[in-house]
Amino acid sequence: MRAYELMTIFRPEMAENEVRNEVTTIEQALAAGGATVKETDFWGKRRFAYEIDHLHEGWYALVTFDAEAGAVDDVDRALSLSDNVVRHKFIRPE
Amino acid sequence: MSPKSPRRPRRKRDERGGRRVSKKPCYFCVEKIDYVDYKDVALLRKFMSDRAKIRSSRVTGTCVQHQRKVARAIKNARELALLPYINR
Repeated sequence: MRAYELMTIFRPEMAENEVRNEVTTIEQALAAGGATVKETDFWGKRRFAYEIDHLHEGWYALVTFDAEAGAVDDVDRALSLSDNVVRHKFIRPE
Repeated sequence: MSPKSPRRPRRKRDERGGRRVSKKPCYFCVEKIDYVDYKDVALLRKFMSDRAKIRSSRVTGTCVQHQRKVARAIKNARELALLPYINR
């Protein structure tokens, strides 16, 4: 098992409960892939340090979880394809 | 924030060509920080210039091991738009 952090940025025009639903969907998808979600931190709306796709702010959410190597691939693909997600990144804290 | 460390005695800079004699201690070694968090924007900003460039370890005194971690953390934070790439 490896420790992961998943930071996801959602589009700013979404409503807060919509974003929270999305985050729970991600959690479920991770759990379905054999991961154990440890913590979910909802940061709220935050300004970007630079413009992304003509946007200046977005909803930030951080999911901390443990998973086997390669178990995040499906979620990674799903997030890349999602129109609601501006950006996402998996990080392995040492 | 940590309390400020006591100021070291100032040596005569002119005799040493204006260079610092003893090396500045590494902030992370002093604070015993093992993992540099990319989410700690306020801390990472201290290791960037106002142009948003990563400050060299020569300037900040960060040790080799921690400088790598700082650089990695800043780059991760940049990807997530927590920190800028450039600041004009």
